[in-house]
This record gives sequence, C-alpha cells and structure tokens, in this order.
Amino acid sequence: MTPVVQSEDRNSLMRVRSFLRGSDLTLLLIAVVGFGVLAATTDGNMLSGETLKALFQYLAVPILIGLAQMAVLAVGQMNLSVGVVTGFTAMVAAWLMVRAGLPAPIAVLAAVLLGGGIGLVNGLLVVLTRINGFIVTLATMTVVDGLRYGVNGTGTFQGYSRRLVSLGQGSVLGLPDVFLVALAVAAAVAVFFGRAVLGRQLLASGGNPLAARLSGISGNRAIVAAHVLSGLLAGIAGIVELALSGSVNASIGDDLLLPSFAAPIIGGVALTGGVVAVLGTCVAAFIIRLVDVAQAQYSIDPSWVDLIIGGVVLGAVLTTRLRTREGRPER
Amino acid sequence: MTFVAEKIVKRFPGIRALDQATLRLEPGTIQALLGENGAGKSTLIKVVTGVYRPDAGRLLRIDEHGNPTELTFAGPLDAQRAGIGVVHQERNLIPGFSVAENIALQAMPQRRGLVDRDAMRVIARRCLARLDVALDLDRPVSGLSVAQLQLVEIAKALAIDSTVLLLDEPTASLTGEEADRLYSVVRSLRDQGHSVVLVSHKLEEVFAVADTVTVLRDGRSVAEARPLAEHTRDDVVTMMVGRAHADLDLETRAVDQRAVPALELADVSTEHGHVGISLHVQRGEILGLYGLVGAGRSELARAVLGLGRITGGAVRIHGERATIRSVGQALGRYRLGYVTENRKDEGLFLDQSVARNVAVTVWRRMARMGVVRGKDEQAVVERYRDRLGIRVAGPAQLAGQLSGGNQQKVSLSKWLAADCDILIIDEPTVGIDVRTKAAFHELIVGLADSGIAILLISSDLPEMIALADRVAVMSDYRIVGELSNDHRYETASQLIIRMIHAEIAS
Amino acid sequence: MSVPTRHHTVAAGADERPAEPEAPRPPRGLPFWANPRFGLLVVIAVLVLVFSSLRSSFLDTDLTLVPMQQDVSVFLVVGLAQLTVLSLGHMNLAVPRIAAVSAFVMGWCYQQLAMPLVLGLLVGLAAGALVGAAAGLIITATGVNSFIVTLALDFALTGLVSLLYSHVGDGVAFAAHPAGMDTLRNDTFSDYCTGNTCGPPIPLIVPIALLAALLVGLLFRPTRIGREILMTGSNLRAARLSGIPTGRRIVQAHALSGALAALAGFLLAINNGAFSADIGNSFLLPSFLAPVLGGTLLSGGSVSVLGTALGASLTEVIQTGLNLLNFSVQDLNIFIGLVLLAALSLDRLRQVLADRRGVRA
Repeated sequence: MTPVVQSEDRNSLMRVRSFLRGSDLTLLLIAVVGFGVLAATTDGNMLSGETLKALFQYLAVPILIGLAQMAVLAVGQMNLSVGVVTGFTAMVAAWLMVRAGLPAPIAVLAAVLLGGGIGLVNGLLVVLTRINGFIVTLATMTVVDGLRYGVNGTGTFQGYSRRLVSLGQGSVLGLPDVFLVALAVAAAVAVFFGRAVLGRQLLASGGNPLAARLSGISGNRAIVAAHVLSGLLAGIAGIVELALSGSVNASIGDDLLLPSFAAPIIGGVALTGGVVAVLGTCVAAFIIRLVDVAQAQYSIDPSWVDLIIGGVVLGAVLTTRLRTREGRPER
Repeated sequence: MTFVAEKIVKRFPGIRALDQATLRLEPGTIQALLGENGAGKSTLIKVVTGVYRPDAGRLLRIDEHGNPTELTFAGPLDAQRAGIGVVHQERNLIPGFSVAENIALQAMPQRRGLVDRDAMRVIARRCLARLDVALDLDRPVSGLSVAQLQLVEIAKALAIDSTVLLLDEPTASLTGEEADRLYSVVRSLRDQGHSVVLVSHKLEEVFAVADTVTVLRDGRSVAEARPLAEHTRDDVVTMMVGRAHADLDLETRAVDQRAVPALELADVSTEHGHVGISLHVQRGEILGLYGLVGAGRSELARAVLGLGRITGGAVRIHGERATIRSVGQALGRYRLGYVTENRKDEGLFLDQSVARNVAVTVWRRMARMGVVRGKDEQAVVERYRDRLGIRVAGPAQLAGQLSGGNQQKVSLSKWLAADCDILIIDEPTVGIDVRTKAAFHELIVGLADSGIAILLISSDLPEMIALADRVAVMSDYRIVGELSNDHRYETASQLIIRMIHAEIAS
Repeated sequence: MSVPTRHHTVAAGADERPAEPEAPRPPRGLPFWANPRFGLLVVIAVLVLVFSSLRSSFLDTDLTLVPMQQDVSVFLVVGLAQLTVLSLGHMNLAVPRIAAVSAFVMGWCYQQLAMPLVLGLLVGLAAGALVGAAAGLIITATGVNSFIVTLALDFALTGLVSLLYSHVGDGVAFAAHPAGMDTLRNDTFSDYCTGNTCGPPIPLIVPIALLAALLVGLLFRPTRIGREILMTGSNLRAARLSGIPTGRRIVQAHALSGALAALAGFLLAINNGAFSADIGNSFLLPSFLAPVLGGTLLSGGSVSVLGTALGASLTEVIQTGLNLLNFSVQDLNIFIGLVLLAALSLDRLRQVLADRRGVRA
C-alpha cells in the first residue's frame, strides 16, 4: 500500500507548478521573446529611453508586492492586506514628513517597520485564533483600509522629501533607482529563503509541518515570521510608491491585491506552502508589466491585459491537466 | 550504552495497550520486534520515541559502567535528543529540500544566521558514507525513490547521533533488491555499534537480519531480547499467536458453493499491478482475504469499486458481467458496498451528525423531487442504530465524538442502510478494543447469516480464522493460496503463514 | 501498522485512539450566548438602539430604513453567492465579475432585444450559472485550488466586461430601462393600498432577496443535492466513497454561486437605476463578510443562511449608522474589520466549547 502523504490538492498543484515553471527558464524565455516581439513591432519605440525607464520604474511595486504575497504563501498562508498596507505605509511616511516634519530616512524606516508591525499582528492573530489566514487578513485588511484613509482623508500629500522623489525618478546606467531597489530586495529575499536559517525553517514548515516540528521547528513561529516579512515588504512597496509619484493619496494600494497573487502563482509558487520562486515571481511580474506596456504601445483597450492574464493562467491550468492525463492514474 | 524500556504500561480508555512490556536494546545488535496486529508494537514504539507517555514503567539509559539514568520524554524531540531515531516511511522529509539539507536539518550548521552549506554537506556526506551510500547531495528529495528516501531518513537519524534506530516496516514498499541493500546498510550500522530495532511482518527477513527478538502478545512481552538463533520460525509464530484466541472459534457455517456467486473475479488484473486474481463469494458467505500490509488487498477492493482501473479479466455480480465506473454505480446498480479501513479519512464525515453519516447513501433513494423527508431519514437511522447497537447520545451527535467502535458501526451502517447485498469490509477492527471487537465479529457473522455476501479483508489472523468460511491469501498482488477454514486456529494459522512465507521465500 | 493519514498529528493519542469509554455523554448544547446568530442579533439590536438614540433620523423611513433594506438585499445575495461555495470549502473570488458579466448580459438583453424585465433576469441568471459552472468544471477537471481558478477567472472577466461595454452602449452603461425597473427601484409596499390599509415600507426588491435566501436555505437542509454538497465539503474522499457524484456536486455549487452573483448584480443595477460597468466592483469583501460574520467558516461542510442574513444586516447597520454620525466611509471599515475580528475570536471560543462538549459548533 502506498502511503498517501500529500493531499490531492497538493499533487495537482505540483503538476501545475512543474508546468508553469518547467524551470524559471520557460518564464524567462517568454519574457525575452515578449520583449523582443514588442521591440520589433513598435519600430524600436520600446527601446527609447523613456519607454524603457517607465517599463522598469513601474515594475518595482509589482515585484515587491508579489514577493510580499510569496512570503506568506511559503508557509501556506495568504495575506489579503498587502495592498492596503502598501497604501497605509505610504500615507504614514508622507504624514511623518509633511505634517510631523521628520527627516525622510526616519519616516521611511518608521513606515517600513509599521508594515512589519501589521504583519506581526496578522501572524499573531492567525496563530492565536487558529483561524484561516485568509479570513484573519480579510479582517485586518478592512481595518487597515480604514486607517489608510484616516491619515489624511481623501486628501493628497505632496512636497515631501525631494531626495526621495529624485530617487524615484533617478536611474543608474539606464535602470531606474526604484527598480534597482526592488531587485536588491528580491535578492535579499532570495538569500533569506535560500540560505538563512530562519528562511529555510519557514520553507521546511510550509513543506511538511509534521517533519519540521519533529526537527524542532515551530510552525507558529514560522507563520508569524512569514507575516512579518510580508508586512515589511509591503511597507517597502509603500515607500517606493511614495518615491515614484511625488504626491500620494489614500487610494494607493487599491489595485494591488489581485496582482500580488498573480505574480507568485504564475511564477511557480504553490498555495500549499513549502515553495518559493523569487526569480519566477520577478519574471512573472515583468511579463505582466510587458502586457501592460504592449497595451499602451499598441493603444489597445487596457481591458485586454486582464483578459489575457486570466486566460493564460486558466489555459495553463487546463493544459497541465491534459499533459498529465495520460501518464498518471486518477485516484 | 544500553537502552531499556522497562515494564511499560500504557492504558487507553477501555483497553490496556501495553501491560508491563519490556524492550531491552543492546548496542551492536539488530533486534526484531514482533507481534500480531494489536499486540502493542505501535504503542510501544510511540512510548519509546516520546509520542506517548507511559502510565507506568521506566525508560532507562545504562552507560558502559552499568549506571542507569532514568529518562522522561515530554515529546518526540526529547527522545531524539536522547539518541533515539525513528525511520518512518517517507513521512519525515521536506519535499523541496535537498538530500544534504534534509539530513542536516535538525543540527543545521550556521554562520551569522545563514546556513553553512559547506558544513551541511560535510555532515550529510559523512552520514551517507557511514551507510556506504552514494546519493547526489544537492538533489531535492521529492525526486527520490522510496528506498532512497529511507536511506536519507536513516542518515538524518545518524546526523543527530542516534544510537538507537527504529525501523518501522522498512521494506513494506521496497523491491527485494532494495530490501537487501537496506539490510546491508542496517548490518553495517550494527557493526558500528548502533542498536537497531526492526519492526517487520516478514519473518524471512527477520530471520535473515536480526540477532535477537522481542515478541509482544496482548501488550505483554512474551519473549525479551532472545537470541534468534535459538528459535525456529515455528517457535516464533507460536509465540506471536499464542493460544489466547481459542475461544473465538465458531462453528462451520453451511454455504452452498454450487450457486451462482454473488461476486466473482475471474482472472482479474488491475492498473495497480494485480495479476490473475480469481475469487468468488456466495450469498451468505464470508470470504476472508488475508495478506500482509502492502499485499494489495485494499487496492483490489478499490479497483472493483471503480476507483481504480481493471485492465483484464472479468468481474461478475450475480453471474452478470459488471463494469463499475464509480462508487455511485456500484451502490445504485449492483448493491455493492465498501467499508473502508481508513475510517477517519474516508469512512466518516467527522464534523457531521451521526444521522447524516448513516443516511448519506440513502438520500439518492429517499429523495422525492429531490427532497429528503426528515421522517424517512430518521426511521433509517434509528433502524440501524438499533440493529448495530450504535451507542450515541442522539442522532445529532457528531461522528467525530464517537468511540472507535461506534464510529466503525456508523461507517458500516451506511452500507446496510443502502441495502447492499455484497459488502467488502476492510480491516474492520483496527483500533477497536477487545470487547467491541467481539461484538463486531458477531455482527459480521449475523450479516452473513442474513444472506449478505462478505469479502472480509483483515491482517488480524485470529479474526480471520474466527470469521471466514474460506480464506484467500494474497501476497504481492497475487492470490497465493486458498483454504477452506476449519476454524481451528493452530492449524489454520500455521497454514496461512506458511503460504505467505513460502511465497516470499521463493 | 498505522496508515499514514492526511492529517499529520503528533499529539499523543490523537492519531489512533484505540477506544473510548462506551458510555455516550448526552451533548449539553452550547450556551445560548455562544450561538453566533444570537450574538449577531444582540449586536445589531444594541447598535440600532445606540444609533437611533444618537440620531433620530436613523429610524426615518425614507431617509434610512428603505435604502438600508435595499442595500442589505444586495449584500445578502452577494453573501449567499459566496456561501454556496464555502459549503464545499471552496472560494469564489470571481463573484464580483460574474455579477458584472451577468449585468452586462441583462442590460444587453433589455437594450438590444427589448426583453421584458423578468425574461432578461432569467437570461442573466443563466449566464451567471454558466460562468460559475465553468469555474466548477475547471476545478474538478484539474483538481487545482478554487482560489487560483476563480482568481484567474476574475482577471479574465474583468477584462471581458470592460471590453464588452466599450463595444456596446456608451462605454459604461446601458440606457435601457425596461418596464417595471423603476417601479422595482422606487416603490415600497406602502405604495400599494387596498382601501385604507397600505403595505409596510418594505422595498419591492426585498422579497426577491428573501426568496433567494429561502431557496438556498431549503437547498442545504432537506434536499439531496444540498446535503451531498455539504458532505463533499466535509470530506471529499469519504463523499466519493459513499457514492456521491462529487464532481457534479462541485459544478452545481459553483453554478448556483454564479447564478446568485448574477442576481446580486441585477438587484444592484435596480438600486442604482442602471446596468453599468461598475456593477460588482464592491462585492468581493462583502461576499466574505456576511457569511463569515454569520459563522460560516472556510473549511466547508456547514453553512448558515440565517447567519449570512444577519451578517449582511450588521454590516449595513454599522455603515448607515456611522454615516449618519458623520463618520467618513473609510472609518466604517475600521469598525467593520474590528467587528469581524471580534466575531472570529468568539468563534474560536465557540469551537473550544463545542470540542469539549461534543456537539456541532
């Protein structure tokens, strides 16, 4: 008798993952080809400085937000509050600079820590109430959504730190600063999950909670740590939003929730935990961004973007099924 | 260093699972731990590995000078720290992690918060070298075979300096060659001074590998660390089965073998690997299907029910060829039911009421215009509650709150409610206390008397011999013999065990 | 040997408890205050008292009570749409967009085909059911988590909806007003009198929502399909082994969810007075809020329709009340979130009590 270690859900997810991923190579290939096609069909318009700059500038937040979701997916959790936390931290940082007159570095640090603090609350609530992280973060999302508007109502903050804003517009060797920041954070996250003891413990706990516990790894600690990390990353995304635009209002983060899931899931992260794909998440965010840019370049109706992304994921899910149908018997 | 679990008593409500059982583990030996199902092996292992706390008795470590230290385990981690490692079947590894990382997981070497990969590989390489095994250290374990996974688990136990290694049915899903390889590893560990405990049903292997043997029967150790060389296989079998079950014997029941069988498999092969399976059950007959864990009995039952593909041969029900594609069809069209061995995962809806658990199969019949009337349902539930003697506080009580025996009755009664006339009953009394077990046996015989054809799958030899009219013996996905049961325990049990072991030996 | 199970338990005895005492304990039931429905009712009553004593306009029929009932009707149906898949332990993140697509279909039927109100509604419900069934089919065929499937579906439909609107009509809404639409929107039963007795000030759409709730409640209690859906949610493997056609039940539950989403879209369009592209935009959070507040958890196997109705009412009472007290829309969210957290904590307590007493929570 073959012991059934994994739930059916997980098995099928692994199948989807192995298809979507193949390795990160497939995604990279799609990204490169997509970029090439875009560049070729727009008479090199794509390669102009401004377009390229915008492409990467507005890639920073999707990457960070995708990583923030990935951090909790790693332990089999979800975080619905990533979007609103991004908006909230941006508003708080702006308030600290504009109203409280604090210097930018302190405001930035405080905002990022605030993100981590909200993550801590999420994690503790999940562990203490033992209620599904989806519902808990649904509740905290609602609260933070309100707090976000509490900072300045629907009003706009502007005129905060010029250095921060110039950072948002500046670039090094043609690559926007904010994009480099996102890459640096991604690298740090990759090191965390790839090399750091704590990161490995999170993944162990997500991959096989029983085995992890028998190896002395606390599942509760892993859940809390993952939520804190998720909050910190959302906080950083908030700062990037701040730097990018030069003026912020509380609507920031409204449209980030669903994309935060799309990037890691396309990038090969399983909902059941135990898997992260930093490169995959970044490349997936890039591909989504490409679709966005293509829409602008071809002046297509922006609605196509969502339709295509949704269709591609659904298609991937179905083709995975068809590919595996012959080989594996159904249980 | 010697490890002793001395006079361990472990009680569960209504049952004494261990009754002064003693397990004495000397360094440099391979000891077999034997016993029939329900003898207390699993419980003893769980006590030794810190999962259960014993109600009485002591766990001792005795050093080279003979000084004992008493150990108390608050949990599995404590047992591991005391040097007791367990090798489960592929349950204890992190699927996405590499071989090296899994091996070093508990004693992960680190530098400034980062995993020291070089040191990790050194540990893993060292542990694997002690097993004389070559595995790619950087390969994720999710791609390894079962045999390789076990080796990784053993290496993992070595990484935390386990001096005692418990191997629980290590060869259940290995090929003969893989098993040989595993046992050569086990021998070399013994030669390095480890104390190895081998839990196995396969006596051939036990005699080939182990030095000493402890035999459990009814929670007691009837043989403690005896040298195996002094015993023959028959001795050991006798110690395992004892004579305690003589009173279970029943009279032989008259079954008309000339009638058209209720269920007949003719030369059936399945996608799971069954080949040439032929057997039949008459109305009112209990056909036992005996075999060791992993012999393919449950898989056969599932294939018959349409949960696995039948690739050859024919299934006939009341003489008519049947192609069953789903359980719904088996139930609705052929009145064939399957009482699963895996009560909690597949047999019951633990968070639902007893009434719903019983009635789930009859809604399809009861519904008028898609609506089930409460009164009809209640009548069915009450009928089977009374008939099976299910003891519940009320039909609204949750199935998860019942005792094991009552849960099993609920799991069975949904098939009776559905008016099945062929029942496949899989390991009906696992995890059920002795008293309830006897009642359950009477119940099964009563069902057969009422004309139901029963295919009884069990690894419990006394149960099998007490209940079955005929016993088909399965080993490695084939039927290796069949006997007409004379309900005489000694002769029948010896015969059955020989059938299996002759098969394994050849 | 013990069979490895899906639930990894280390706790001593939890895994294979040989036997328990055979004497059954009569379940004492939970104390009344631990019943989430009762708790919700009390909270609603208290809030109504507080709000009406602070602002007498809270009890004003035209200003407050009628719009409140209209809103609750929509949120109730939205909650039911989510509830039907929560019964399986699934989620339907596409509820908002199924509502939007169906609203488009209905608007198109009214505008292009000049269908009567009821016929268009039926076509819209069918469209919603079809989309939901497609989601269910993909889930059963692939075994992929409902979260991923409906998330992707939501993306796809988001695009589809705005494409559809940009090609038809003026880009954001249909101008058509089929006969009866405005009556349904503006009238209450008090507008219909026989002699001197008029009906209560209940908007005409309320009975529609109540009928939907009644039907869903009836589905999950005495019907075979509803019960088998719950059993599928309770334990998929056991359900399959009990002869339940689990795949079909999953598809049916998702189809019903789609139809209810469509109905919610219809009701909102009636309230707004137009079938427009923004229908459904605000549905995602309320779809979870109402059932979860009402005591339906995500694990599947049990639902509470009454709880969903109370959950929807509570959210609406808080919103209206705080609105009257001049709180901003955003402040409401803080309160609603905190109420949800409190409800969850109470739920945890209830679970502990239920475990101890051996009854259904």
